[in-house]
Amino acid sequence: MTALGLVAAAFLLSSCGGLGGISPIFPAPVSPNGQGIYDLYIGISIPAIIIFIGVEVALLWVVLRYRRSRQPVGYVPPQIHGHTGLEIAWTLAPLAVVLAIAVYSFVELQKDFQPINNQQMKVIVSGHQFGWNYSYENGVVVHQEGSLVSDVVPFVVPVNTLVKLQFQGTDVIHSWWVPAISGKTDAVPGYDNFSWLKITQTGTWRGECAELCGAGHSTMQIIVQAMDQADYDQWVLTQLKAQHASPAPSPSHSPSPSP
Amino acid sequence: MAATTVLPRPKAYDDTFFKPISLWLTTTDHKLIGIMYMVTGILSFVIGGIFALIIRLQLSQPNLSIVDHETYNQMISAHGVTMIFFFVTIFLTGIANYMVPIMIGARDMAFPRVNLLGFWLVPVSIILYYSGFFSGGALDAGWTGYAPLTEKAYQAKSLGVDFWAMSLIVWAISGIMASTNFLTTIVALRAPGMKLTRLPLFVWAQISTSILLLVVGAPLAAAMILVEFDRQLGTQFFTTQGRPVLYQHLFWFFGHPEVYIMILPGFGMISEIIPVFARKPIFGYMTMVAALFGIVFLSMTVWAHHMFTVGMNTYVEGFFMLMTMLIAVPTGIKFFNWIATTWWGSVEFTVPMKFAWGFLATFLIGGITGVYLASVPVDTQLHQSYYVVAHLHYVLFGGSVFTIFAGLYYWFPKITGRMLSRTLGEWNFWTLFIGFNGTFLIMHTLGLEGMPRRIATYANPAWGTTNMIITISSFLIAFSVLLFLINVVRSWHGGEIAGDDPWGGNTLEWATTSPPPPYNFERVPPVHSYMPLRDLHESGEVKPEPEPEPEPEPEPVKV
Repeated sequence: MTALGLVAAAFLLSSCGGLGGISPIFPAPVSPNGQGIYDLYIGISIPAIIIFIGVEVALLWVVLRYRRSRQPVGYVPPQIHGHTGLEIAWTLAPLAVVLAIAVYSFVELQKDFQPINNQQMKVIVSGHQFGWNYSYENGVVVHQEGSLVSDVVPFVVPVNTLVKLQFQGTDVIHSWWVPAISGKTDAVPGYDNFSWLKITQTGTWRGECAELCGAGHSTMQIIVQAMDQADYDQWVLTQLKAQHASPAPSPSHSPSPSP
Repeated sequence: MAATTVLPRPKAYDDTFFKPISLWLTTTDHKLIGIMYMVTGILSFVIGGIFALIIRLQLSQPNLSIVDHETYNQMISAHGVTMIFFFVTIFLTGIANYMVPIMIGARDMAFPRVNLLGFWLVPVSIILYYSGFFSGGALDAGWTGYAPLTEKAYQAKSLGVDFWAMSLIVWAISGIMASTNFLTTIVALRAPGMKLTRLPLFVWAQISTSILLLVVGAPLAAAMILVEFDRQLGTQFFTTQGRPVLYQHLFWFFGHPEVYIMILPGFGMISEIIPVFARKPIFGYMTMVAALFGIVFLSMTVWAHHMFTVGMNTYVEGFFMLMTMLIAVPTGIKFFNWIATTWWGSVEFTVPMKFAWGFLATFLIGGITGVYLASVPVDTQLHQSYYVVAHLHYVLFGGSVFTIFAGLYYWFPKITGRMLSRTLGEWNFWTLFIGFNGTFLIMHTLGLEGMPRRIATYANPAWGTTNMIITISSFLIAFSVLLFLINVVRSWHGGEIAGDDPWGGNTLEWATTSPPPPYNFERVPPVHSYMPLRDLHESGEVKPEPEPEPEPEPEPVKV
């Protein structure tokens, strides 16, 4: 079928590299929670691809084998109204598959999606129209104002450090998403959400706001930069010095009742 | 049937579209109302499609500004609202309005005047929505209209959100009227012998759809009324000071069942079409009915799977994940039963059957990606990305729209008395199938790479080529729809005369004339099974038509 051909073409193209926008899987994860999602995605893909190919082949087989022009002249099909055994079988088989997927997903959910308390540092990520503010415990505040024409100011974290992220929304709902790190978390006005990251290598990763938040939605770019501890310490000092020179307006955090 | 036994038809039912306007405006006949619903739906399809093409042009390359960001946000909202509320749901209500009474051997719907009112609320709803464009800007928060973006604080200038909210309140009332009418009709007006266990599966699908709309129509209206309170009376339900996520709960308690309101009638049509063209009875009639009601029940317990990133308790998320995945079970039953129906059959791949097969081939992808999205951890990556756009189009376009085309090609001869051109139909199918998959298959990959949905433009040059392929394919879809429109207009005037039963059907609608008289049946045939017409063929009471007879009518003027 055309669909199958296109899937094959997509896989083929992506293996060539170079071209963007045709990957059959997420970017290589750089944080353990992203890795967990990545592995789960592959785990689901195994039964998914088998079922996909099996059903499409069955559909194709009907087209090829049971079309009227392939049947003998005057062929009268057997008038079968059902088969209890078969019907029970194809109720229970998908049930087993989805239960297995649900259990695997639930284990991953408990492992990586509970709010953590053993963090090494905490950053309050606050979304507004149209940009992000990152407030560190040491007083540094990064203002990542949205832009499409140039790179936005990076949100800097040290590598191999468990960073707890606390999300707040100051006006409408935003959603913080960097695919290479982990899934997205909404920044909702009125209560705080939590996530975390622990980036395992230095580098820069991009993301965007994922919840429609107004005319500037597409400008709310995100850049996360992971540095060695020494570089990070240096960066903090520079930031603090700059902030003392020209104090930036402190981000207004609305009082946040627990959800 | 010999030509001499064909009853003279009232003038109002000659098989052209051109009836006195006064008749169209005042009719309580379920067939004419059905046609008006369907025409409204198709017009909305075209308008919604134009919005889609503008969206695709805008996204075809990075950093384009064919429309500005505010306009773009209005376009995506209007595309979604038009396609979901004014096309798919309305069209399916129309085809059911036309077919359900005939299929159960009734003369009309139970409440013809409620039917009239229910239909005429639809244009009111549509006009209300589009009035937004003339009030300083229509809804620009997506078709879901998440608060607090729809609140006065962020929408001070325009009345678009108010028009949208009022439009949906009217729409919900109309839907509740139609659902009540369908349920009453099916319960009370069945022909003698038409037990519930002999209802055609399309009618069963309509029962399940009506139950859903009856239950979830009110929460939608409630959400919209609260939005209006916030905007006009200064309440704080969903504002930044209130509980924006409450809006999402209310909306999706309607919104997810709405997905099934848009696909269950399609399932019903496929369950009618496949047995006719495979020349075999439907495999597992009772499990098909049970699967429908399994979906009805499950679909009302899954709404929060649209909200896995808003920060819910992980056990609550686990519950919604499990219920969502369980929907794969009844859907799987239907898939396997459809395939088993054709197994060992003598399958004729007419245009409706091709669309049915296209539906199975594509809807499968939508179903499988649905399981990925149901898994909470994976969903936090895929949610609000182009993967979701691809998924929802695989279930709504590959699902609903393909079934709508299948149903139209199947029932057009009954509705108009004339066949749709097969040649144009083949072109229509293949261009749509290729265009559809070209458009939406690679959208999955964009989402996986991190392209969020609803962005007015993007800076990443790596996404340009993929988006260009999508845009080109989307114009192939537009071309296909154009072929379809040409086919409908030409065939309505000058198509081949269909006769009563061009396909060798199983159900009662094929036992009456094409188009049926106002009273539907001169004499309702006896019903002994869920395939009453086939029983008649086998008992020799009615012979299948070998050749359609030319109608004893003056030829309509050729244009």
